[in-house]
Amino acid sequence: MELRASAFSAPVFRQLPVLLAGLVIALPVAVVLVTGLVDGGGAAWTHIRETLLLRYLGGTLSVLVLTAMLCLLMGVPAAWLVTMFRFPGRGAFEWLLVLPLAAPGYVLAYAWSDLAGVAGPLQSALREATGWSARDYWFPDISSLPGLSFVLACTLYPYVYLTARAAFISQSVCTMEAARSLGAGAARTFWSVALPAARPAIAAGLALALMEAAADYGAAEFLGVPTLTFGIVRAWKSFGEPAAAARLAFVLLALILTFVLVERRARGRSGTQQSSIRWRQISRVTLTGPAAWSASALCAALFTLAFALPVGRLAWRSLESGARNAPISDAVINSLLLAGAGATFAFVLALIIALSIRGKGPVATFARIAASSGYAIPGAVLALGALAVISALPVTLSGMLALVALAWVYAVRFTAAGTEPMAAALARAPASIGHAAQSLGASPWRRTFTVDLPVAMSGAAAAALVLFVEALKELPATLMLRPFNWDTLAVRAHAYATDERLAAAALPALLITLAGLLPVILLSWQISRARPGGAA
Amino acid sequence: MTRPLEALGVTRRYGARAVVEDVSLSLAPGEITALLGGSGAGKSTLLRLLAGLEPVEAGEIRLGDQVLSAPGRTLPPERRRIGMIFQDFALFPHLTAERNVAFGLKHLSRVEANARIDHWIGLLGLTHRAGAFPHELSGGEQQRVAIARALAPQPDAILMDEPFSGLEPALSGSVRTAALAAVRAAGIPALMVTHDPAEALESADRIAILSAGHLLQSGAPEQVYTRPATLAAARALGPVNVIARALLPIAWQNLVSGAGALVGFRPEALRLDPAAPVRLLVTRRRLTGPLVRLTLEGQGLELEALLPLGPDPAPGEETGVTLAPGAAFTFASGET
Repeated sequence: MELRASAFSAPVFRQLPVLLAGLVIALPVAVVLVTGLVDGGGAAWTHIRETLLLRYLGGTLSVLVLTAMLCLLMGVPAAWLVTMFRFPGRGAFEWLLVLPLAAPGYVLAYAWSDLAGVAGPLQSALREATGWSARDYWFPDISSLPGLSFVLACTLYPYVYLTARAAFISQSVCTMEAARSLGAGAARTFWSVALPAARPAIAAGLALALMEAAADYGAAEFLGVPTLTFGIVRAWKSFGEPAAAARLAFVLLALILTFVLVERRARGRSGTQQSSIRWRQISRVTLTGPAAWSASALCAALFTLAFALPVGRLAWRSLESGARNAPISDAVINSLLLAGAGATFAFVLALIIALSIRGKGPVATFARIAASSGYAIPGAVLALGALAVISALPVTLSGMLALVALAWVYAVRFTAAGTEPMAAALARAPASIGHAAQSLGASPWRRTFTVDLPVAMSGAAAAALVLFVEALKELPATLMLRPFNWDTLAVRAHAYATDERLAAAALPALLITLAGLLPVILLSWQISRARPGGAA
Repeated sequence: MTRPLEALGVTRRYGARAVVEDVSLSLAPGEITALLGGSGAGKSTLLRLLAGLEPVEAGEIRLGDQVLSAPGRTLPPERRRIGMIFQDFALFPHLTAERNVAFGLKHLSRVEANARIDHWIGLLGLTHRAGAFPHELSGGEQQRVAIARALAPQPDAILMDEPFSGLEPALSGSVRTAALAAVRAAGIPALMVTHDPAEALESADRIAILSAGHLLQSGAPEQVYTRPATLAAARALGPVNVIARALLPIAWQNLVSGAGALVGFRPEALRLDPAAPVRLLVTRRRLTGPLVRLTLEGQGLELEALLPLGPDPAPGEETGVTLAPGAAFTFASGET
């Protein structure tokens, strides 16, 4: 009896679920890597390599550089302003500036191209005001590489904003006061104390933003900018060459890996660990006169460009069409079903991995690395991996199987996003409660189910919401794997937009954005509550 | 150029609540003044007023004849030349120990700055740790970097906010001695905020006691400890026996000078003397390190006595007790 109980809770047995979770996630990633490396790439590869590879690579690199610069310019000053100063609207901007995260890049691309097109409201207003004709002036073209970077920066800068803001808040206020007592004015304090100390956090936020930018398919395709992800889907769709697509995917993954390594390297030896014992509410400097209005205007402009204007445009277009809107109820149901299935799958994997975090074995580490690499890999690439796995099986990709494959890809891509809130919930509870349970005679299994699981579940609502919305927004993998004629909201919006029917694309795009607002608002609410230093 | 740093009747309010009210305090060059008080007494706020991190609503802060703060006019901290040392040390996490010290030396030439850095790094025994980042340093080393950083620019005054409370007790004693020696040697006004009376008595040249935003008393440690101006000031520095003068045993009456209706004396002012006329019952005996704390009752009194470890009566025994001459002080009745 005694013996059997201990065999049942043997470490190997306990780690089995984690191992399986890790393998499920790692499989498509590994398959794509191996295919890209080993497979010759087919006839199309020669063509792609000779004529397109440099364009794709150059496109992706340029978009990433421009997007990075824009994200920093948008995110860091805004974070500094709302953290350190008091000015009209500061409290509202603090969370409003996170909202652009809700709209995926392709949705902003549709909205902005509608807004800034020749027939759009911006140019019409300009012509009306000046009396010029369309040929008399230059207007920035959204369907361009800078346009794509702008659109991506609009939706991705909140990553930088959030990490920078958190870094500025968590910095010991004393550090900045120490700088001032040593003769440094506000400008030098920012440049030589606050910014360098926040640099690792900003770099981490930027790395996340750039991973998303590199993974973007919908916006690049719509705006006609040749990037690697765009090339991957095209190689698969137009050339019918999964092997060539895998080669491109390999190049893209190498690029992303370089980013991750550079970011790790940039952290260097200098520490950011704060040793602050005592937190003090940041005493914000009250801005007055022109400085106050400039700060408000800057934040307002950022919010308007990244969210209010494009989303307002989508809402206007949807209302304008009214009952003439193309029916989308089927797409809504499909989206809910598919996102629900993908989120459930990812949720289970995320829970298993989150629970394993306390046990620091190699298996848990493997599962965690698998999850975060899945998160870093574009949906299009994961879809290729899933396709390769399925093509090795004696089945054809259709109907139910395609949906299962899609849910799998969603899970691979987003599990890490669900692990995070649950791991955070576990981290908030002291490790000693587990030890207390064990000292009271609970077996490791019982401890998992009666202590760790309920604790992790306090982060479950947030995790489930994030997973569901991420799955809902996903476009490229859905395009590649969905059963014939089986549209989600994202696919429908993409189809209408590609057909130049922007008015029809507005409603599904708006619905995706509104769904995306839910987890973002939850996030804003959490960050405004969990403020270190709130208690003096 | 050593000038006193002075607060003259300064007041600071948060909303309607005065955190510091009408406080006057003069910090003399070359002296360490301990600002003592419980949490919420306004110690840190007074320090921040002196530093220029917060504006005063009334009164003035002066360095010699230069006005640093007045209502509506606050010279910003970066232009005051007042060094600060924080409880959490507030080292810049992205700079090495050496670069932290160099931060305030921007106005010097490279050669001068390097000489100054070497001097302070060497003086505080950090030469072998000069290239380390703050998170690689021990608590004591971080503390010394913070001191070197604050003193290297040769400030006109230095303010320390609970500088030793972040260190583990075993370490804080030796670090404190070395650190305060460096501060004293700088010959500038120095203020040290603390909530620990033992630290204040042991290391400061003067003690200022703050309570609920008011300055209760300031003076040399001996004077403040043995002649507290109020009951609150007496309690701020340690335990005190307080009895109404009417209840004072007749044998002790002529040992008390001063006219107040309340008589106070420290536990260590009581002595045991088997022949003494004042007989009290020992109700409790507890060992507190090198000393023994006795609770004595009788004649309507309950007193605490602190005695050297030795043959002393057990609980339940009666003993004669005397009061050391000149050790008692008095307060006006009703005063707290």
